[in-house]
Amino acid sequence: MSVRSPRIEFAVGAFLLLALASLLVLAIASTNGKFGFGRDNYEVTAKFTSIGALRPNAPVKIGGVNVGQVADISLDPKSYASVVTLSIDKRYNKLSADTSAGIFTSGLLGESYIGLTPGGDPEDLKPGDEIYLTQPAIDLIQLVGKYMFSGGGAQGGGNGTGAEPAKPADAGTPDYLKGEQPAPSSESKP
Amino acid sequence: MALFDVVRSLGRAGLFSLSVFRASKPTADFFRELIREIYKIGARSLPIIAVGGAFVGLSVTLLGYRALDTYGAANQVSAMLGLGLYRELGPVLTALLFIGRAGSSIAAELGLMRATDQITALGLMAIDPVGKAVAPRFWAAVLCVPLLTGFFCSLAISASYFESVHVIGLEPGIFWQVLKDSVDFFDDFLMAFVKSAVFGGTAALVAAYVGYHAEPTIEGTSVATTQAVVNASLLVLMFNFVMSAFLFK
Repeated sequence: MSVRSPRIEFAVGAFLLLALASLLVLAIASTNGKFGFGRDNYEVTAKFTSIGALRPNAPVKIGGVNVGQVADISLDPKSYASVVTLSIDKRYNKLSADTSAGIFTSGLLGESYIGLTPGGDPEDLKPGDEIYLTQPAIDLIQLVGKYMFSGGGAQGGGNGTGAEPAKPADAGTPDYLKGEQPAPSSESKP
Repeated sequence: MALFDVVRSLGRAGLFSLSVFRASKPTADFFRELIREIYKIGARSLPIIAVGGAFVGLSVTLLGYRALDTYGAANQVSAMLGLGLYRELGPVLTALLFIGRAGSSIAAELGLMRATDQITALGLMAIDPVGKAVAPRFWAAVLCVPLLTGFFCSLAISASYFESVHVIGLEPGIFWQVLKDSVDFFDDFLMAFVKSAVFGGTAALVAAYVGYHAEPTIEGTSVATTQAVVNASLLVLMFNFVMSAFLFK
């Protein structure tokens, strides 16, 4: 076992350097770059009646620009509303207190994200605050179902094509049922 | 009797692994051997890893593009490549190539040391043969395989970039942005390297164990080489499934 020749040492050194450099480039160029440990974020919560396909780590955007991500999703044991914790970059700590949050989908098949719309309140949103103005996720299938079944039955022989026929059907229903269960009315027809 | 033999050889492999850890003392001699081994099994594996990575990147891009283009989602090809590469392909294929290139040579070297009585001679000179011959190879593999995985992934992504942008005609900006958005630093990137360190250690331990306990004949050495490659490859594939099931949400 003779050598520790300079050639081998150089080759090993070059290999290690090259490998570490390539790892560094990979980490920066091909990942979402969350390696700044304890990066400055603050958390606020928002309650939604329905969150659809929202997942942890989904982006939080203002005007299409990423400003944070969904840190946690849980269910409020009393009201059974979904509580979404948003982790927002400290750079955007001057959001007004009446900022509203909605759950949107990017494209038809894309991922869900939370869109924030800043309001005009002079007070700022503080860490731990709750966003009160929220808009739940839109269930596309439910929407299509409403569109298809709301018209035809109510109008009685209507052509079932549109939004207009829905009004008479609502006339006799109490407020809290409006727009909720359009399907039975079509079955009750003789 | 067969079951008894299996359990016994498992126990022998476990004790052997333990003795490798116990024999790893950071002395000057150890580092000298380590550097030689890094050169032999790490630096010299570079060309095969690079070529392998580039072609894997190319073929995944081609397949992904054909499948995704059906749904008008050709832009997502780099997301598919990135996730597939870091979660499965990178660590596993690097480990398999490494086993073929370096695992077989570890088994053959140790088998030949056994056949030519060098291991006995080391023992007679009061030098621990495991510490001298096995431990540096093991640690070199644990260190080198993650680094080689890095090479594999960077070559695959570069090749995929070339194909997506210059052959298929995607936008370069979209390629990088989609890749960045889909690959998480901790969940995907770091886990790839944890996995490949485990694979490197597994490959080296299996190869060393098989070579160290080979029949002291020419034939025994050749059997050991074959066994090292087969056993290590199967173990890596099994560990990959287990680790994927536990590591990735």
